[in-house]
Amino acid sequence: MLEVTDLRKVYGPDPTAAPAVADLSFTVGDREFVCILGSSGCGKTTMLRCLSGLVPATSGEISLRGKAVTEPPEDMAFVFQDYSRSLLPWMTVRRNVAFPLRYKGIDKREAATLTDEALDAVGLSGRGDRYPWQLSGGMQQRVAIARALAYRPRILLMDEPFASVDAQTRSGLEDLLLKVWERYDITVLFVTHDIDEAIYLADRVLVLRPPANVGHEVTVNLPRPRHQVTTKQEPEFARLRGELYAALDGRSVAA
Amino acid sequence: MTRRLLGILLELALPVALVAGYWVWSEQADNFYFPPFGEILDYFRELWLFDRVGSDLAPSLLRMLAGYGMSIVIGVSLGVLLGMSRVLRTAAEPVVEFLRALPAPALIPFSLLMFGAGDGSKIFVIVLGSVWPILLNSIDGVRGVDAQQLDMARAYQIPLTARVTRIILPAASPRIFAGMRTSLAIAIILMVVSEMVASSNGLGYFVLESQRSFAIPDMWTGIILLGLLGYVLNWLFLRVENRVLLWHRGVRGLLPAARTGAGDRGRATAATTAPAAPHPPSSTLSSSEKSDA
Repeated sequence: MLEVTDLRKVYGPDPTAAPAVADLSFTVGDREFVCILGSSGCGKTTMLRCLSGLVPATSGEISLRGKAVTEPPEDMAFVFQDYSRSLLPWMTVRRNVAFPLRYKGIDKREAATLTDEALDAVGLSGRGDRYPWQLSGGMQQRVAIARALAYRPRILLMDEPFASVDAQTRSGLEDLLLKVWERYDITVLFVTHDIDEAIYLADRVLVLRPPANVGHEVTVNLPRPRHQVTTKQEPEFARLRGELYAALDGRSVAA
Repeated sequence: MTRRLLGILLELALPVALVAGYWVWSEQADNFYFPPFGEILDYFRELWLFDRVGSDLAPSLLRMLAGYGMSIVIGVSLGVLLGMSRVLRTAAEPVVEFLRALPAPALIPFSLLMFGAGDGSKIFVIVLGSVWPILLNSIDGVRGVDAQQLDMARAYQIPLTARVTRIILPAASPRIFAGMRTSLAIAIILMVVSEMVASSNGLGYFVLESQRSFAIPDMWTGIILLGLLGYVLNWLFLRVENRVLLWHRGVRGLLPAARTGAGDRGRATAATTAPAAPHPPSSTLSSSEKSDA
């Protein structure tokens, strides 16, 4: 699905300067849910911007379903961390969600269907005529997710999407995301700095260490559907948390 | 309701007191320069209801609106262009700074040479004076568009024209409107000034001609009409602005709570950071003509 090989990104004209991303290689399988875990400033955002084609990589290869990514690919959607800045406040919720569809060559009627479906999937059916600033933070991020879903991507890139909502809203959004991931049958690459969130959501967790490369990788064998209380009580969850904590810390990892 | 009524009464109190004061004073003052208010009113009725509306008010208004309209078109389109391109902005900056430093009335003689004594020369002068606040605010507004909104547009492969019309222009609109408000006042001033030179009709011409023929009450009616005109135009402008920028006030949390349905879960705190908030200016082109938007 997504293959990243020796990705390197250096900002500025000097290629020998300290890289934001270096020697990063990993793959994401079809319909897989992969979390990239890293502390702040480890190059997560730069990596995502390279993967999404928003900024060119200095060297290395990114290929999405066999095609090299040099600009934002058509079957990819991006959910940004800061919902209040990526939604357009002069458009209603419905128009925000439908906005990218027009330019994808989808006709009005189908765009309306896709929009309604996506709003329904995130539980915002009744709010289509509101403006984003009339909604709470969690609801705004759901609008951003709906916009991504309506776009019908094969892969969804998410840049710490739940980092700026409160804890309770956050667990709600995590469950919502797992639900739509199954319903929409998509691949998700989810960047976070939260260990619990990564384990709870993912099939596989990649730990990123500065300058962004995969320092450690774990497969999460927790049963689905997951549950905010019971999943997190499993011994396996606790074990993974310990392993990832150590990996993030950069200490040698006990198996 | 009573609160509102009190507010209106309070607003009316000072104008009414001023008019009444002048009225009482002027009736017994017997001053040639300050004719009795009743007399001014009589003249006003005679002249502007609606004898000279077609011959003087309409031409003035049309020139003003034509010049103002052209300023908006030129200022916004050029502003978007310069705002989006650093190269163009750098190249244009000295010229823009020079031209906008020129007092527009200084070019009236030139514009009479170029365009003759008709409407063209007056519209030229109006555009030359009122385009700058719109241009500079547009540049500033475009440069202040949130980078994340543009990233979003690129990630979703929104084509350039839609990026300009659906994202950049709306995002810059609070600043553009601020510039347009300043320009409206300038356009009215230049309308009057340009009509005072080599003109055969218009409000500016009327006021000057009345004074020259010692028709002092006539002159006052023209001045009063100009004041009313400015007031009404500004009021209309604010109505339009309020409507177009409703979202902007919503984002900044300035709408009454009844209009916002803040929500079930989470808090909308992050949402109150205005995307169109001013950003640090980095060149003279961007820092001037700020307004109280």
